[in-house]
Amino acid sequence: MAFLTAIACGGKWWVVGRWWTVGLFVLCALRATAADSAAVAPPSAEYQVKAVFLFNFAQFAEWPARAFADARVPLVIGILGDDPFGAYLDELVKNEKIGERPLAVRRYREVKDIVGCHILFVSRSEAARFDRIIPVLKGQSILTISDADAFTRHGGMVRFVTDSGKIRLRINVEAAKACGLTISSKIIRPATIVTAGKD
Amino acid sequence: MRPSAFQRSITEQGRWQFTRALRATSLWFVLVGLAAHALGQNPGTLPSPGALKNLTIGQLMDIDVTSVSKRPEKLFETASAIQVVTADDIRRSGATSIPEALRLASNLEVAQIDSRQWAITARGFNNVFADKMLVLIDGRSVYTPLYAGVYWDVQDTLLEDLDRIEVISGPGATQWGANAVNGVINITTKSAKDTQGGLLLGGVGTDLRNSAGARYGGQLAPGVYYRVYGKYFDRGDSVRSDGRRSNDAWRTIQGGFRVDWDAVANNSFTLQADAYNGSIGQVGPDNIRVNGVNMLGRWTRTLAENSDLKLKVYFDRTHRRIPGSFTQDLNTTDLDFQHRFPLGTAHDLVWGFGYRVVADDIVNTPANAFLPPRVSRELFNAFAQDEIILSKDRLVLTLGTKIEHDGYTGLEFEPSARAAWTPNKQNTVWLAISRAVRTPSRVDRDLFSPATPPYRVAGGSHVVSEKLIASELGYRVQLDPRVLVSLATFFNDYDDLRSLEPLHPPLAFPVETSSGLRGRSAGAELTAEWRATPAWRLRAGYTEMRVRSEPQPGAIGRGTRNSIVRDPNHQFHLRSLWDLSAKWECDAEFRYVSAITNQTVPGYSEADFRVGWNPSATWEISVIGKNLLHNHHPEFNAPGSRREIERSVYTKASWRF
Repeated sequence: MAFLTAIACGGKWWVVGRWWTVGLFVLCALRATAADSAAVAPPSAEYQVKAVFLFNFAQFAEWPARAFADARVPLVIGILGDDPFGAYLDELVKNEKIGERPLAVRRYREVKDIVGCHILFVSRSEAARFDRIIPVLKGQSILTISDADAFTRHGGMVRFVTDSGKIRLRINVEAAKACGLTISSKIIRPATIVTAGKD
Repeated sequence: MRPSAFQRSITEQGRWQFTRALRATSLWFVLVGLAAHALGQNPGTLPSPGALKNLTIGQLMDIDVTSVSKRPEKLFETASAIQVVTADDIRRSGATSIPEALRLASNLEVAQIDSRQWAITARGFNNVFADKMLVLIDGRSVYTPLYAGVYWDVQDTLLEDLDRIEVISGPGATQWGANAVNGVINITTKSAKDTQGGLLLGGVGTDLRNSAGARYGGQLAPGVYYRVYGKYFDRGDSVRSDGRRSNDAWRTIQGGFRVDWDAVANNSFTLQADAYNGSIGQVGPDNIRVNGVNMLGRWTRTLAENSDLKLKVYFDRTHRRIPGSFTQDLNTTDLDFQHRFPLGTAHDLVWGFGYRVVADDIVNTPANAFLPPRVSRELFNAFAQDEIILSKDRLVLTLGTKIEHDGYTGLEFEPSARAAWTPNKQNTVWLAISRAVRTPSRVDRDLFSPATPPYRVAGGSHVVSEKLIASELGYRVQLDPRVLVSLATFFNDYDDLRSLEPLHPPLAFPVETSSGLRGRSAGAELTAEWRATPAWRLRAGYTEMRVRSEPQPGAIGRGTRNSIVRDPNHQFHLRSLWDLSAKWECDAEFRYVSAITNQTVPGYSEADFRVGWNPSATWEISVIGKNLLHNHHPEFNAPGSRREIERSVYTKASWRF
């Protein structure tokens, strides 16, 4: 505490920079010692619930026949950008089937890598590139979902919004229809319907 | 420079009391801390993946997923008068500064004094330096301990980066600390994760003559997000009552950055900084110059579903040179620690402590002086709060206290008890009793006029903290899924309010700053929100209030009754937000503020109007008219020196890329 007084009294505020650096190192050291226990930690409650929503979309949306090569091709849930779900999503859909069809999770770094995907979760890390990503996906029968601001405004189909601690859905039904997708009223009813160009 | 005798006595006395305070409270905190480690490691409460999969969409939507690093915000069930202004509200209000955005909270009195100064408070005793409101930006207190109040002209950021403004009317001292007497304004900015990509802004208008802003957000490494921003504005003069310009036009340039790192699932770091420089016109020889820099770091570690540790450190430096008056430099260094954990199933505990050093250096002028000119003060606080679930989802009791120590007055206790009863999802009744204090600031103790004896106005070495006992009762009701109404009523009893006491009565002068007044206030704040159609929302707020002050029994007080009351008896706000189509928005606001009797400010009505056009997802163009009903109107201060606020129009364009 004496050093704080010294800094504040002396007016040599730049000295704080030095202490700041030291402080950051200490924090990093603390973090490092804590990292082992954290390695297998599940995602936050928010992303656990969002993962379950993705699973629900797999159940309650219908794709045109052309979206699947045959009856046994898996329904693919893709994640574009940083993965907030970790192994939780893989565990969640393991051994699940939609009719005869198994579920699979794939991760993509870039939009051009996306092939044979049915539900695409676009991570917040991609928010700066929405206007480049979404046009590429149009006409591919991919249900696009994100929790980033302005996703539906840029033409995305489903946006997760957290309102007073609860997850709400905003769905651009028109955009989904345009790609040949049908979303069940079980999901539509509790959701907010948005039109093109709106959040 | 050697400290003066006075300064030494302050710090020595302070240290002694500080040690005593530490001893008195440390044992208890150690006990709570041990209990925390023994019992606090409860596992998460979210259902298993298998159970989650079996829930319906409706049930999934009912799960509270609020980040475990924060106390879940069940706004509807909160036992205090809280209003939240969202980022979208701010955008659609056309606000161009934080004070303008605060007009959206109908539980505040917001009066513009001139081109740059604002009087803002909740629940009475408003003033240029409204000293009973605590204002925080991302957890950094911007309440100036020199003047007791907020310099609103330097509290700014890119408004597009604001996440929300929480306005709590009523004491928040237990959680927030000293000076949260009449209310707390908690301003938070978005995480860098949520401001990715570029944004360019530009605007021209009659009052906000030119403004420009830019922000860019990107990723430094996986999971590490940053944004940098810069902004500039040039504002015109306010006017005198006869319409002449009053030479208070000003310009400011500001920039900053924020980095957010979600290291692993249960650790997150934030580092942010701002710097600004401004030049403000005044009547007199030269412009007022202001500049400052601040930096804040925050670490949150999640221990379990309802348990976390938070550590926050910040440094804030401000400089203000008012030619002909004084020059001040103020350095604040602050450290806060907080730990939250459940105890059994019925208790949710939060405890923590904070340490702050405030040092200022003032260059005085012959007209008035802060003596001694250079002071450093240490403040220490510790708090504990227990949220007790008496009946699940029905009745919650929150008991807490803050213990605060500062060099002027020693230990202060700020306890509170709050209860919220939610008989069903549509109704909440809450009540609260709390004690809060405003600790003396430099202006109370150390301001002398003129700078050398004999003084006409002398600093008050006996000024003690202003004290408040507040009782509150509130009710929220969801009348229909589209209509929310909330009512908060309060009765406040103040003691030891600041006064000026004649030293040699019956002579009116010299006077000494003292604690010779007491006061009372009572009122009701009513708000209603109505989603008339999906495209049309209406919001209304009405506040009715009476504020009184009088000399304390035995005080020599030349203070007359209500000498420090500068509050309107009623205020009314109505706001309409209307989406004309996917591309067009049309928003309007009307406000009525009744007269301020003491200052003969007449009651007034004013209206703002905004039209917004989004030709594409990346562009937004808007035209905003402010204070449209009069050429110019006064909002605060006595006639004579008073400035008035003109009708203004401006247009703004923004482009995201």
